Amino acid sequence: MSKAGIKIENVHLSFGQTEVLKGVNLDIKPGEFFAFLGPSGSGKSTLLRAIAGFGPNPKGRILIGDRDVVGLDPWVRNVGMVFQSYALWPHLRVRDNVAFGLKERRVPPEQITSKVDAALELVDLADLGDRMPNQLSGGQQQRIALARTIVVEPEILLLDEPLSNLDASLRVQMRRELLRLQRQLGLTTIFVTHDQEEANTTSDRMAVLDGGVIQQVGTPQELYDQPSNLFVANFLGTANILEGHVETDGDQARFVTKTGDILSLPQGGTGKNIVLRPQNIFIRQQSSANALPGKILHREFLGSQVRYLIDAGGAELVVDQTHGGGREWFDTGSEVYLSANTANAVVI
Amino acid sequence: MTNRLITSLAVLILSTGAAMADGKITIITSFPDSMTGPIEAAFEAANPQYDLEVLNKKTSAGVKFIQETSDNNTSDIFWASAPDAFEVLKNDDLLADVTIKSEGIPDMIGAYPLNDPDGKYYGFAGAGYGIMWNERYLKANGLVPAAEWDDLAKPEYHGHVGMSAPSRSGTTHLTVETLLQGDGWEQGWAKWKRVAGNFATVTERSFGVPDGVNTGNFGLGIVIDFFGFSSKASGFPVDFHYPTITALVPANVGVVSNAPNEAGAVAFIEYLLTPEGQEVLLNPAIMRLPINPATYANAPEGFPNPFEDSTIGATVKFDVAKSGARYNLVNSMFDVMITYRLDDLRETVGAIHKAEAMHADSSNAAAKAKISEAWALVEANPIDEAQSLDVDFAAIFTKKRKKVTDEVGERQAEVEARWDAMVVENYAKAKALAEEAAGM
Amino acid sequence: MSTTQSDRADRGLADRLPNALVPSLSGLHMVALLIALLLLGLLVIPVAQVIFVAFQDPATGAATLQNFADFFATSLFRESFWNSFYVSAMSVVVATIIALPLAYITTRFHFSGSILIQSLGFIPLIMPPFVGAVAMQLIFGRNGTINLLLRDYFGFTIPFMDGLNGVILVQSIHYFPFILINLSASLRNIDRSMEEAAQNLGSHGLRLFRRIVFPLAMPGYIAGAALVFIKVFDDLGTPLLLNVNNMLAPQAFLRISSIGISDPMGYVISCILVVFSVLSLWASFLVMRGKDYATVQKGGGGTAKRELKFSEKVLAYGVVIFILLVVLSPHMGLLLLSFGTIWSFAPLPDAYTFQNYIIMWEGSKTYIINTVLYAGIAATLDVIIGTAIAYIVIRTGIFGRKWLDYLATAALAVPGVVLGIGYLRTFHSVDVPFTGEPLASWWVIIALALMIRRLPYALRACTAALQQVSLALEEAAESLGATKRRTIQKIVLPLMTGGILAGFVTSFATAAVELSATIMLVSSNSDAPLAYGIYLFMQTPSGRGAGAALGILAVIVVAIGTVASQFIIERDKKLKTSNAVH
Repeated sequence: MSKAGIKIENVHLSFGQTEVLKGVNLDIKPGEFFAFLGPSGSGKSTLLRAIAGFGPNPKGRILIGDRDVVGLDPWVRNVGMVFQSYALWPHLRVRDNVAFGLKERRVPPEQITSKVDAALELVDLADLGDRMPNQLSGGQQQRIALARTIVVEPEILLLDEPLSNLDASLRVQMRRELLRLQRQLGLTTIFVTHDQEEANTTSDRMAVLDGGVIQQVGTPQELYDQPSNLFVANFLGTANILEGHVETDGDQARFVTKTGDILSLPQGGTGKNIVLRPQNIFIRQQSSANALPGKILHREFLGSQVRYLIDAGGAELVVDQTHGGGREWFDTGSEVYLSANTANAVVI
Repeated sequence: MTNRLITSLAVLILSTGAAMADGKITIITSFPDSMTGPIEAAFEAANPQYDLEVLNKKTSAGVKFIQETSDNNTSDIFWASAPDAFEVLKNDDLLADVTIKSEGIPDMIGAYPLNDPDGKYYGFAGAGYGIMWNERYLKANGLVPAAEWDDLAKPEYHGHVGMSAPSRSGTTHLTVETLLQGDGWEQGWAKWKRVAGNFATVTERSFGVPDGVNTGNFGLGIVIDFFGFSSKASGFPVDFHYPTITALVPANVGVVSNAPNEAGAVAFIEYLLTPEGQEVLLNPAIMRLPINPATYANAPEGFPNPFEDSTIGATVKFDVAKSGARYNLVNSMFDVMITYRLDDLRETVGAIHKAEAMHADSSNAAAKAKISEAWALVEANPIDEAQSLDVDFAAIFTKKRKKVTDEVGERQAEVEARWDAMVVENYAKAKALAEEAAGM
Repeated sequence: MSTTQSDRADRGLADRLPNALVPSLSGLHMVALLIALLLLGLLVIPVAQVIFVAFQDPATGAATLQNFADFFATSLFRESFWNSFYVSAMSVVVATIIALPLAYITTRFHFSGSILIQSLGFIPLIMPPFVGAVAMQLIFGRNGTINLLLRDYFGFTIPFMDGLNGVILVQSIHYFPFILINLSASLRNIDRSMEEAAQNLGSHGLRLFRRIVFPLAMPGYIAGAALVFIKVFDDLGTPLLLNVNNMLAPQAFLRISSIGISDPMGYVISCILVVFSVLSLWASFLVMRGKDYATVQKGGGGTAKRELKFSEKVLAYGVVIFILLVVLSPHMGLLLLSFGTIWSFAPLPDAYTFQNYIIMWEGSKTYIINTVLYAGIAATLDVIIGTAIAYIVIRTGIFGRKWLDYLATAALAVPGVVLGIGYLRTFHSVDVPFTGEPLASWWVIIALALMIRRLPYALRACTAALQQVSLALEEAAESLGATKRRTIQKIVLPLMTGGILAGFVTSFATAAVELSATIMLVSSNSDAPLAYGIYLFMQTPSGRGAGAALGILAVIVVAIGTVASQFIIERDKKLKTSNAVH
């Protein structure tokens, strides 16, 4: 299958009077597994559907390969889309569902049969061809929906929250399957989700959206370690945010919280907030350099971690401590010192 | 709560019903509300101690009703146009022998005795049969009113005529029977079929005919006279006229045997024969011929007077006994040969008219022969008059079987099926012949 | 649950009888029994009688198939059978032709005239078809308004109302809303992604409609079509007033009324009508079962709507307005006739007057009072019985309760004319106590027939109302000490009020204009209700205008009933959702 990249240039989209996409720019490389991540209403599904050709026509350009598809009918775009509900037609057999696109393209019947068989083989459901969709489990339905799309060899693959209707264990299994399949086929894929774990574990790069605007684009690790704004910081993983300001002293920078505590900033940076991840804060009985005094408000046992909620630096900080290895637990109400590993901190 | 309401309501209604029982007179009638209404109002005004309960049923349904409830009779009076229906009841011993006092009422109307010689039923008004037409319709279609029954058979009236069926209307039955008696069995039926070939429709009730003419659905109708008069009086652009062959027949009223309120029933009949009772007949909604000659002094302009104009209804002497003997049989024949096969008949007759028009000049003898053959096929009857009067044969058509041991030869359905097959075949053949003739 | 004083009082009589003789029956058991007896006596037995007589030799009383053989041997009956079938099927077809573009427009496009289409779904239903038939005859008849104008200006006519065509036209115009509503609902129930998935794979337009949308909408459509089929098949009033007699229902009526209740043919025809009704209902049930394609997911209801281009907008409005005019023609015709003096062979009446309304008013007081009485009794009994059955079926475990539901709903399969014949046959030898009148001619029998005919609809309404009352509400009351009876009285019934009221109003409005069973059972003009009154008025030359006026009154009654019922349901819904009663 030919690999096509996707370029989205200054796309605005409104439903009636409400503007839902406010100037989106994106460059997705051929063969990339790309995620749109964001909360409900962020516009991620709208953007995906705009690429497929559903919904009102946007302003701007959407290039698939080097073709601008804005204004084109969905049936001529040759993009493959898997819907959140799978949209398997209940009155057609599995095999007929899968064969649908091929029939529309007037592929000769013998070829249809062999292609359908191959597609079913690919998703590991070769012997379910004669069943009706309502006889399949959720996971099986999703794979058939996938097979149906792949069999027509689209230029790109669009997945609209494909895992949200599955139960937790299946979700993990299916996302690995999806990734494996994508690698095998090399299809440029966009995966829409509101679940950061899904996005983190599958995508090469992702875009975080909020309010119709792209907040940041990058690899999962980039977005986690170097969020460009508070929204991204909060959205990906738990973020402890302390307000304050940066002071430079020659080539040494430090962050002064609003409560007057001082944290060193090895990488420097500018901004009014510092973002600390729970796993980079350590609880000590005594003070030390780079330490914040705090009081433990709440403790939760999470199995592999013990999570503490601590009042320090003018905020409630979430601190995770690995459980086991003889480590003692701290009691609620006790006064402690928080030592932060600021090498990984980000100032925004 | 709701239950209590219902119970009390029910009790109230039941008791009101019971209270009225004393002066109640129950009348089974085929006359419409528009006629019985004014008469009921006038009677109750003159005799306030009585309350009329009028049950409206078609003639045959009314007869059936009285027959079926005879063991537990609740009806006082049977009141209908057709004397032959009364004959049926009389033969079943369902009419009471009563003496009616009246003044100024003659014995005959036209050539017809007003009252039953055995005193079982009495005439109270007269009616004749004739042709009604819609002036606008005729004008739009370039037609003139038909004067005689024969005229209705003419090609120009094809598809413009309406009539009811004798099985559905006592008055229509009389019309059919009158022509059968006037022209004879074979000739009569022949004429009926030719006329029926011009029918636009056969209506379900006799009122369907004047209704159709009034609204202009079809142009001409074979109706009883008061339909024509009352329609005209209502303002419709219609007119009516008696053909030469018609019978003036009384409309009758009789007391049912074992009537709950015989005294009241007699009072009602007597009222109908009083001068004021007779005058109600001139009401524009009613328009029936009074049988008291004196009443005509107050009749509107142009209203026919059979006592002075002797041409009306004098040509046929209606034999009620004959009519009664073959009542159901005639109904059956008309329905099987005409009503149920109207489309076939109409098409066939239309084809024959076309062929006749083509060969109007008597040049092509072969074609003419075909045309006559076609007519003969159309006019053929499955039985002759003798058979129609054969008691055993006619009995097939009375569905009533009082005793299990009553013997029945064939069943009505079988006979009708045979007739139907014959008629369908004949019409088809006749149509083929006509088309051949037209092609020649 | 502990037994309280009132609980013991509940069981009363049954309690005092030895347990072996009468198993312990609660008040609800008694009610169920009573209802079962009622349904048995007023529905099962009359219909069974009819079927029984059809298989009986009229002379000997022995069982025989001869009557059926006679029926099929008689060409008139074969013709009537075929005609009924043909008319019903064609009515469905024409109704679909009218409904399809409307359903298509409302569900697939943003159409600002949707209000128009919604009213189109309402206007035909408020005019009983037999009332509209007369008016349609005047407008579309051989020499009606349209054909007169066509002939004058263009020289040709269209046989809209000739023979069976007239029946088909009147029925399709009256019943197409059933198809419209069902089709729209099933189109709306298709998840948008079904269509989008197909578009994504290259399908669009008519191909898409044919391969995906229509098959998915089919089950809902068929349910609606089956209902229309059976209603047309059973209808007596319309063919009667159009003077079309070679159909099954009018033939049954004519046979019984002119030849008498001893005529076996009437019963054979009734049998056939019932069989067909049952078959249609069963077919529609089968089609719906297992194929309920309603697949609405979150965020994706209904097929995708798009905007209309200007030319398409013009076309859409054109189609809608044309259909609106056709649908309004019986109403306009009736209105003109009611205000007209003489309407004869002319496009419009000669002149206009209020006189008809005055005549109508003076002559119809009895009819109106009777109608209020009969329909009132029928509707009241309907909601009482409907509520009882709904409660027994949904909330109790009483043995055989499903059968109460089936029995009550089975009344749908019994045509009015058959019910009438059944009552005549079953009750004509029974006398009403105190009055000595045969039961078959007592006015109460008309009210009871109306009650039975409307019961299935009332039952649906009451069931729906009860389903909205969560079981938890009852259990909460019981846990606080209320007995079953008190709970029903204080909690369930008040919460069901909206639905019950709506059911009452609809029952009343539709019972008020029922003709098929009424025409069989009315034995005297003083017992006649509205519908019969219209029929009577139409039988005299001077009465047509008044008949039309009465028809307008009937339409208004039904319209008010329908609107009121909708209003009550809407208000009830608002009440429920704001209180978050779940």
